[in-house]
Amino acid sequence: MNPPESDTGSDVRVVRTTSTYDCGGRCPIKLHVRDNQILRVEGDDAPEPHQLRTCLRCRAYKQYVHHPERFLYPQKRVGKRGEGKFERISWDEAYDIFIRELNRIKKTYGNEAILLATGGAYLASLHNGGLAASRLLNQYGGYVTHYGNISSEGAVWASLTQYGSVMVGHSREDMMNSRLIILWGWDPARMISGTNTMYHLIRAKENGARIIAIDPRYHDTAATVAHEWIPIYPGTDTAVMVAMANVMIKENLHDRQFLDTYTTGFDAFADYVLGKEDGVDKTPAWAAEISGVDAGVIDRLAREYAATKPAALMDCQGPARSAMGEQYNRCASTLCAMTGNVGRPGGSAGGGLMGIPVGHMFRMSAIPPGKNPFELDGPNVKGTLDIRLRVKKRIHVNTLWDAILEGKDGGYPSDVKMMWSMCNNYVNQIGNSNKADRALKQLEFIAVSELFPTATARYADLIFPVTSAAERNDFTRPWPSGPYFTVVNEAINPLGECKSDLEIASDLAERLGIEGFNPHSEEEWLKILFENNPEYTTHIDDYEAFRKKGVHRVDLPEPIVAFRDQIADPENNPFPTPSGKIEIYSRRAADLDNPACPPIPKYMPTAEDRFDSLAGQYPLQLITPHPRNRVHSELYLVPWLKETEEHRVWINTRDAKARGIEDRDEVLVCNERGTVSLPAFLTERIMPGVVAIFEGSWYQPDEKGVDRGACANTLTRDDYSGGGACVMNTSLVEIQKA
Amino acid sequence: MQMGFYFEQTRCTGCRACQVACKDWHDVPAGPENWMRVLYTEKGSFPDVFVSYMVSPCWHCVSPVCAEACPPSAITKRAADGIVTVDPETCLGKDECGAKCLKACPYDAPQFGPEQNARMRKCNFCLDRLEQGKVPNCVEACYTRALDAGPLEELREKYGSGQEAEGFSSSKRTKPAVIIKAKTA
Repeated sequence: MNPPESDTGSDVRVVRTTSTYDCGGRCPIKLHVRDNQILRVEGDDAPEPHQLRTCLRCRAYKQYVHHPERFLYPQKRVGKRGEGKFERISWDEAYDIFIRELNRIKKTYGNEAILLATGGAYLASLHNGGLAASRLLNQYGGYVTHYGNISSEGAVWASLTQYGSVMVGHSREDMMNSRLIILWGWDPARMISGTNTMYHLIRAKENGARIIAIDPRYHDTAATVAHEWIPIYPGTDTAVMVAMANVMIKENLHDRQFLDTYTTGFDAFADYVLGKEDGVDKTPAWAAEISGVDAGVIDRLAREYAATKPAALMDCQGPARSAMGEQYNRCASTLCAMTGNVGRPGGSAGGGLMGIPVGHMFRMSAIPPGKNPFELDGPNVKGTLDIRLRVKKRIHVNTLWDAILEGKDGGYPSDVKMMWSMCNNYVNQIGNSNKADRALKQLEFIAVSELFPTATARYADLIFPVTSAAERNDFTRPWPSGPYFTVVNEAINPLGECKSDLEIASDLAERLGIEGFNPHSEEEWLKILFENNPEYTTHIDDYEAFRKKGVHRVDLPEPIVAFRDQIADPENNPFPTPSGKIEIYSRRAADLDNPACPPIPKYMPTAEDRFDSLAGQYPLQLITPHPRNRVHSELYLVPWLKETEEHRVWINTRDAKARGIEDRDEVLVCNERGTVSLPAFLTERIMPGVVAIFEGSWYQPDEKGVDRGACANTLTRDDYSGGGACVMNTSLVEIQKA
Repeated sequence: MQMGFYFEQTRCTGCRACQVACKDWHDVPAGPENWMRVLYTEKGSFPDVFVSYMVSPCWHCVSPVCAEACPPSAITKRAADGIVTVDPETCLGKDECGAKCLKACPYDAPQFGPEQNARMRKCNFCLDRLEQGKVPNCVEACYTRALDAGPLEELREKYGSGQEAEGFSSSKRTKPAVIIKAKTA
């Protein structure tokens, strides 16, 4: 336990720690603790400008950890599956049930019938639930699992194709060097893209940067900083980018020298843009028809972006969670190259991932899971752009339910009979929640390791109650960027009979007769995880002080700029692509011979875009942005957060009036996948023809199948793009008064 | 001396971290009692929209009309720092008194829980934190650094004398202790 530090009274301990939500920040917080209760939260107390200031989510940490609906004891199902009725059982009984079912499934169907569903609900080095479970099931003979992450696969594919790297971001203070910042589908006021990101953006504006927001919504970031809002229909970003390239090429505004020096394949892209490839000149007028953005605006935007140096085109991942999402990130990167902004302070590389290589979660140490015997005879997928290879032995995460329903006959890697799920709420957070309901009712056994009765946990036959980060010790990192490292210090003893995932897996290993599963104590593990990670040992001298302070900040002599070295000295620093250059034309993509993955970035029509004939019946495009008062579906039950923003569907006043809908009216939003019921928010902040439901509200179908929790994914598609992006923002819906 | 707040409306994203931090520090349950509120304004029509937020704690007015309106004199303006406090023990309760303080206040600062005859409570400038040399919790919680607090004279020297903003009108009668950098269209 963290050494006590008293500054508020004798019996109150102050514990320096952080949370482990699936958040882009890992902000230092101070928990005031007495009698195994968190009393209140204070933020980081470092002097400015070093302060890493937490947001409302961690401000409500007390109500999350001590929530009355937390699972404190093992439970078994007593009602029908999906009803969420449970009764308390002992750990012995819980382990007996689990092992009995696990062994039965393995004996009857083989290891491949065991589906392990993991996720990002709490991401840390040691207590990373999915890794403990994978380690266990690997030693048990294997299992089938999923590939891909819901957030960012489009951006990952685009960055790997274009740059051969996922570290495409600048440290956020570099925005102070920008003269123009284009927020293209990026709303950091809601979605924490690294601690203090919104603050740095505000300061960049105060420093004189011009800021343009391109988005279907006039979101809170735009409302705070943007000089101009350019509304755009969902899924059409790439068309506008292509038309901007068209203007630049025709007016010779692009940086030819930069393109010659650092890129390959620009001419092929230019041929497409100018219509030499397909006879369609991709002019602003062409893009205006598609996107709803006025041709004159596109023209002006192209000239302004090309002429203002340095300029940061900030694409992100939301528009990439769509039916051809990776094209948006690739095209953004291509514009960054055409304007010579890659590798330059105040510029940007695009790619949507925004990661920097200091304190990045991708480089976090973790307990070694070992190899999955089920995957040993599969293809080598490391670094591949071919998503078809990735789904030979794994299930794309956004098709989990279909895989359960269709199995091998449907082309999936196995016939799933049981699921063990942790660190996720996939019923809620991947596409098509009603299909999840059908799929999970078909399985023979479901165990869920959880803290809360989530939409997914409601389908469990068995619940393992898991500790929160306040009850554990660990190291953690924000997913996109440091530059800092944080520590999770145990603030309270485990509540009720909760155990960590590692303890649960270790107990199961012992009962299964798996030897040597967990050879270390928690403290030993932490020391090993620290010492085995070169980033820690490079930056941090004093392990004990790091643990006690809970944070180590890295002083950067200058902002981190992605590909600074490649641009400064290309001879000695090739890009990590096959050609050593930025690949506007990718031979590897061409070799895929997949029309969904063209070698150059392209705008392509897709199912459920606004030109689909389905739009006759469902004329509104649905987008599902991040919530402000949750981290995805985590924290959904926390009252202090819930009351800060009512869950309502954003609809333009014009669309609402045409349907007889007034503000706050209960409405039904529906398509062929489902119907959700929630109040309407009439606003001028979303363009006509588009509606928004913030993701993460918990799926709660009533007896008629209407989702009263209004989970956005009741309406979204369980599909993925050519580059593997989850298709969360390409759905057509209709709205009517309830 | 008069303590007061500074609000940089141009930096506020409407996130409500201030509201949550306030409830956490003072252990106020979710519900109608909000010592710190965030008011929303949306004007114009697509695509020419104006959006702003306005924080709304107690402004610790120079002339607190709530105190004058309170029948049992449960509300006090502290001489040393101008902070307006309430003694819940003396307060008659919302139902018995009819919430005269709330009716008098132009900013809806007096707050009541949902319980029967709730006693009035409200922003007390985090007096306990002030004694430890800390700023109010809402100020520390604002991750866009849109809030500050301190002696009003010092705030005026640092930030000017803005007093009008969308969602707020400075009452000449009560003289709220706040400086605002207003957001304009």
